[in-house]
Amino acid sequence: MDIEEKELAFLTMPFGPQHPASGHFHALMKVEGERVHELEPHPGYLHRGFEKLMEYRVHVQNCPLVDRICILDPFPNELGYVNAVEKLGGVEVPERARYIRIIMTEFGRILSHITWMGVMGMVLGFDSACRIAWGDRERVIRLNEIISGGRLYPCYFCPGGVRRDMSQEFIKMAFENLDYLEKQLDFYDPFFFDNETFIMRTKGVGKLSAEEAIDLGTTGPNLRACGVDYDIRKDEPYEVYPKVDFNVITREEGDAYARGMCRRGEIAESISIIRQLLNKLPDGPFRTEIGPAWAAPEGESYFCVEAARGELCFHMVSDGSPVPYRAKVRGPSFSHSLVVFPYLAKGGTIADVPIIYWSLDGCPADMDR
Amino acid sequence: MKKLTPRFIKSKHEARAWSFWAINYFTACGFMELLPWVGSGYDMERFGILAVPTPRHADVFIVAGYVTKKAAKRIKMIYDQMPSPKYVLALGSCPMTGGMYWDSYATIKRVDEIIPVDLWIEGCPPKPENIGHGIVMATNVVKSGYEGH
Amino acid sequence: MIDKITSLLKPKFADSLLKIVGEGKEITLLVKKEKAHQILSELKDAGFNHLSDVSAVDYIDEQEFELVYHLWAHREKIRAIVKVRIPREAPKLKSVVDLWTGAQIHEREDHELFGINFEGNPNLSPLFLEDWEEIPPFRKDFDTRKYVKEKYYSEEEEYPVAKG
Repeated sequence: MDIEEKELAFLTMPFGPQHPASGHFHALMKVEGERVHELEPHPGYLHRGFEKLMEYRVHVQNCPLVDRICILDPFPNELGYVNAVEKLGGVEVPERARYIRIIMTEFGRILSHITWMGVMGMVLGFDSACRIAWGDRERVIRLNEIISGGRLYPCYFCPGGVRRDMSQEFIKMAFENLDYLEKQLDFYDPFFFDNETFIMRTKGVGKLSAEEAIDLGTTGPNLRACGVDYDIRKDEPYEVYPKVDFNVITREEGDAYARGMCRRGEIAESISIIRQLLNKLPDGPFRTEIGPAWAAPEGESYFCVEAARGELCFHMVSDGSPVPYRAKVRGPSFSHSLVVFPYLAKGGTIADVPIIYWSLDGCPADMDR
Repeated sequence: MKKLTPRFIKSKHEARAWSFWAINYFTACGFMELLPWVGSGYDMERFGILAVPTPRHADVFIVAGYVTKKAAKRIKMIYDQMPSPKYVLALGSCPMTGGMYWDSYATIKRVDEIIPVDLWIEGCPPKPENIGHGIVMATNVVKSGYEGH
Repeated sequence: MIDKITSLLKPKFADSLLKIVGEGKEITLLVKKEKAHQILSELKDAGFNHLSDVSAVDYIDEQEFELVYHLWAHREKIRAIVKVRIPREAPKLKSVVDLWTGAQIHEREDHELFGINFEGNPNLSPLFLEDWEEIPPFRKDFDTRKYVKEKYYSEEEEYPVAKG
């Protein structure tokens, strides 16, 4: 066949914006029979121009806005922004506030991984996993509501500390919910992670080697599943991570199954981190007041946080006025959905495309910002 | 002995109200408060609401969250493909007047610029109890004879 | 490691290297745009194999754009920040796609939102916006509040109206 006839043999199919297995993400696939020849992503359905909006608001007004970069995992967004501002301005944060921040961030990580488990079940056709996992999410969301007033958008961290104190009643409820989640993890193991459907459909799918992953810009559990030991909590520690004991979960295979098992291991590690921190929570103030008209001095700062999806970084530039001059957000899903996903989907079958997409755990909101 | 009479559905309006099939379109962040309704926390299936993948089977379009200019064209396309009678629910404060992104160059501020809306539910995002209140209001209105569009 | 990099780069690029500062686990370099690609290539061979981000800042008073490359070395666990200044009129720079494949998407975003041209990038088509006719939106002379008020809000009152 000559070149023109070969082009006509391909069918262009959308993995559309309206699809039960994609978020609000659009990709055009060139398929021949069941094989995917090429995949071209088209983002932008959730673009709001975040970084431009942040240039019109003072630092305290930016705190509720920054939450909304990624709804599946709101705490690392706040943590990154608040730390970047404090690094610019040299603001002192009390010790109790640092402990509270990491306790809530680790709860957010558990929440995000349980949501991932539910969505993965829905994509595999395993609806019961979805219904049960999303019922268990409520346990963590209610803790968010008690401490800050907001279920999914807590807006809880602010430059200088946290907005409200953590009460004894919250600590008691936190311990009860941690025991419940640990018991549920023992239930999820034979139900989902050792289930034949999950293993059969994810083993060997979307294999990524360590060199390819680093070259394409992968971070987070996706990179740790290829054998590279990179966790910002251990390599560039921030807040109180030097004071806790935890393992970094790595695996060797680099396929969708390994990425799923990395996330399951991280849930167990997060439960252990929260227990250690709640047991040694110090007393003291929880906030340093800075006021709404506080201006950061001239300068630049770059701060990286380990979110549930990967490396989330804030690049802040200030020129001495109360509003930021430039605030750039590097979302973890930017590289995963737009560079790694087309690379892995090439050559596979159509049925593997949603599995590869969700095993990379791309959040379309933090890709588009 | 008391005779138990079975209760049949009396009219087509009641039949419509008890089977609101919603199209599965994960629009934006406001949608995340519909997840407890899908899960076992609040469970919408006992009200007859299902999430269907194609617009040809759907009755209800829930616009949850902000709408960008790029997505607006696709929302109009999906709305046109749904067969009558159909209803539209707008969830959150972003489809109402712009919400948190009132000064963004990429979002449209009122979703009734492109499609007619029947019910607005406020919140950012609205709590699941508020969504339930809104859905019950919608079913009552449909039961009493509202024809939709 | 920081001293090793300083001693490696200073003799070769003495006049292009305007500033080099190392503190703790972070090293900052300010370089001239002519030799930027070569300096980045040397850094990649020295062990900086992960490119986090390519971010652009618009300094409208000085009529310049500044591009900031954030790099990370996985083995030595050190971060490097490389800053390059280019003129605001017809901005262009050589792309680093041949060094890190993942840079392709960061440069595409900067092209759309700031208007910077990267020579050598295989795909610079629009990413987020469709049918956009104004100037690139993240430049400092684009006022988003004025644009929104003209397009969506009513003239008399301060709330948005459904215009057609």
